[in-house]
Amino acid sequence: MQTGEAISRRELKQLMKRSDRPGLLRLAAWAVVLGGTGSLIWAAGRDPWLLVPAMFLHGVVMVHLFALQHECSHYSAFRSRWLCRLLARVCGFLLIIPPLFFRYEHCDHHTFTNQPGRDPELIELPASLWHYLAYLSALPYWRGQIAGLLRRATGRLTPVEKRFIPRVEQGAIVRESRLMIAGYLAVAAAMAGFQWTGPVFYWFLPLLLGEPVMRFVRMTEHVGRPQVADIATNTRCNLVSAPWRFLAWNMNYHAEHHFAPSVPFHALPALHARLRAHLYVETKGYLGAHREILGQVCAARRADRQGSVL
Amino acid sequence: MSDWIDLIDCAALEPGDVTPVTLGKRRLAVYDAADGIYVTMALCTHGGADLCDGYFDGHVIECPLHQGCFDIRDGRPLGAPVTRPIKTFPARVVDGRVQVKL
Repeated sequence: MQTGEAISRRELKQLMKRSDRPGLLRLAAWAVVLGGTGSLIWAAGRDPWLLVPAMFLHGVVMVHLFALQHECSHYSAFRSRWLCRLLARVCGFLLIIPPLFFRYEHCDHHTFTNQPGRDPELIELPASLWHYLAYLSALPYWRGQIAGLLRRATGRLTPVEKRFIPRVEQGAIVRESRLMIAGYLAVAAAMAGFQWTGPVFYWFLPLLLGEPVMRFVRMTEHVGRPQVADIATNTRCNLVSAPWRFLAWNMNYHAEHHFAPSVPFHALPALHARLRAHLYVETKGYLGAHREILGQVCAARRADRQGSVL
Repeated sequence: MSDWIDLIDCAALEPGDVTPVTLGKRRLAVYDAADGIYVTMALCTHGGADLCDGYFDGHVIECPLHQGCFDIRDGRPLGAPVTRPIKTFPARVVDGRVQVKL
């Protein structure tokens, strides 16, 4: 799709306009919601029947900090770039997603969206229902995140990482990993020194409980779409309800975001209105996307079984 | 020795934004900033995207592809993923026309 077919250059430029106000308002509302779910954890006390659901709810909100980090990585959440940098670092620390590393990795994701062997963020279509559930558990994700952080802290970068991180920045990536680990060790020392259990109940356990929801959301962006260099087909726009749009900073309009990553989150609904006829739109939202993914997983399994019988 | 070369009419510039201009084989970006006219090469030093399609704010041009930024006054990169500066050219306005020295 050529830009001019769907939207004029002038219109696109209008939509790119940045402002601090929408981001700060969204951030304030976000803080209220996070404070609310945190209060539920406090009110639950140590009753596991109340505590676990409260931590799950808090976790679902927390893991969506990724949406803010992602938006800040594109420098589009706020007009002030220092605010984007600051919040990308805060979110990255809370979510164990090194912000500078993510920035470079994400650039290649945009360049080679959903292209096997080239897109470093590509999530393959699960080979079976078991693989699908294993991915959604987020355990492979955490293993990869933590192992990657530790490895880079020792100064070792994989050939893929060396491809998307310029040589002059590789030292900064290693320093970033070391600084983050130092930060986590400082938190651990404070917890041990002051018998402080707050991070366990308000941070670590909610993250573990909530991350499967983020995995569920992330799968809907590209998994099951054609693995070709065409934004019109390789990415979904998921139409979801207002609470999900709020949590995701409108990143459910993912195809629109890939079409024009400079357009800030608050202008994505307007961009969607202009582009919806030219992009792949999943009208049934995240559940519709997963129905499509599971359909493909089952179809691939059936084809495999028929192939092995023949 | 370089001479000043006529580039574009000021009236043809996108007000407060960046305008693409081709000069021979060169693709240039002409910026209508609050304090004057600036000219740089048009293609990003990172991914090769056309900066003229990017977001321009103050003295900062942002690449539309990966949101790498440059200061248009001296071409210096302002953060990941761009690490190499973009070439800038002296520019002036004479009789309503932007001139550039290559």
